[in-house]
Amino acid sequence: MRLLLAGLALLLATPVWCADIPSDAGVDGGKTMAPQIVVNSGRLEWAPHKRDLTRWLTLSYQDRRATPEPTRFDMKLPLAGDKARGKTLAWEWCIACHTLPGDEWPGNVGSPMVHYKQYKHADPLIFQQIFDARVFNPNTVMPAFGTFGLLAEQEIRDLVAYLQSIE
Amino acid sequence: MKTPFFLLAGFLTASALAQDIPYREYEPFERYEPIVSGDLMLSGTYQHWKDPANLDFRMAGNPDENWKLNWKFMDPPFNQTVHGGHFAVDRGERLFKQLDVYGTFASCLSDRSGSPRNLRAGYPRWRADLGRVAGLEEVIEHCGAKQGRVLQNGSYDNSAISIYLASIGNGQPINIDVTAGPMKASFERGRRLFHAKAGAFNFSCASCHTHNIGKRLRGNVITTIYGDVAHYPVYRTQYMLQSLQLRFAECNLDTRTQPLRPGSQPYTDLEVFVTALTNGYPISVPAERDW
Repeated sequence: MRLLLAGLALLLATPVWCADIPSDAGVDGGKTMAPQIVVNSGRLEWAPHKRDLTRWLTLSYQDRRATPEPTRFDMKLPLAGDKARGKTLAWEWCIACHTLPGDEWPGNVGSPMVHYKQYKHADPLIFQQIFDARVFNPNTVMPAFGTFGLLAEQEIRDLVAYLQSIE
Repeated sequence: MKTPFFLLAGFLTASALAQDIPYREYEPFERYEPIVSGDLMLSGTYQHWKDPANLDFRMAGNPDENWKLNWKFMDPPFNQTVHGGHFAVDRGERLFKQLDVYGTFASCLSDRSGSPRNLRAGYPRWRADLGRVAGLEEVIEHCGAKQGRVLQNGSYDNSAISIYLASIGNGQPINIDVTAGPMKASFERGRRLFHAKAGAFNFSCASCHTHNIGKRLRGNVITTIYGDVAHYPVYRTQYMLQSLQLRFAECNLDTRTQPLRPGSQPYTDLEVFVTALTNGYPISVPAERDW
């Protein structure tokens, strides 16, 4: 009976830890706060950050939330993506690391995307690479835009359409 | 009758314990030496900035080469213009002398041993009175509070005192011992944290600063993690005066990770880790950095 109670207590306690934002995180009212330095003041101000980041893992030791595991996504053909919208998204999300045609300050952490059409990759493969590249390479630094909820399915379809159109 | 209860209890306990270890990802672990010359095995740029008095300023003017100087050409005296860091040193000196009229502030900071000149080079360190490893800014907050002065960790006045204490120790090599005891434990936790992936983009510090050094993120070139602590707190053209732990918070925000509060255990462990990687490099404040 004691074991049962202990088990129940643990089970009940665990989801509480999982859901909790750690207490050492810079969060106020459930929203991400950014530290603001006030000149000639001994107090550190915190102002709401432009993005709320509380739903993702922090570096805190109290953070009991799990990293979303690598996920495969079966993209159904046809692609039905809009390459113009895809270009806008690519210049927002991809350009820091990848070289895109027309960029004066190309990043080179990721592979260059110029002449991308020549590789003749299948649409579902490119989709999976953007959705969650960890499926192909567990040590990749490319964010899993789909699994982490950063891009919607249609947005990734638009990105694939744009990439497939780069001559 | 009792057996199903035990089975159920065992199952519940096991499932609770299984839930207790959440899934985590880490950048492949790298070896680091707790001395600044260890960079020769990481980025190899150390040869260009190891001697702050003899930097090749032709490299500083070349956008393809300047990152190899680890931006040390913006350490003093990088030009004659007075930037915000110098004002902070002046403010820090005034505050320090106000608080240290009876010598209690300095003795609190140094834990009743040594001169304030040697403080910056020897922090973070184990503080028996606090019962933990603490950075200099955390101790400034603690010792200010003893006199009823609010000096929150990361605030301008706190960092101003810290940069003043660093400036009177200018030229001293950073020297913290991470070979034993709680400092070693903290260093190891910091090393692990440096490789721990977090945030919306699932980046770790090491994702960029270990395995992509020298590559470009648009206009910025990623630099080594070695040798950076020598110029903190730093005057940032976009951020006023910034302590090392506030830099971590900004790094977190830049990579879309929820930041922690300065003085939290993970940030202190990271501070111990990166400070150990600057061991042997002379303090040079007030410095300026754009990035």
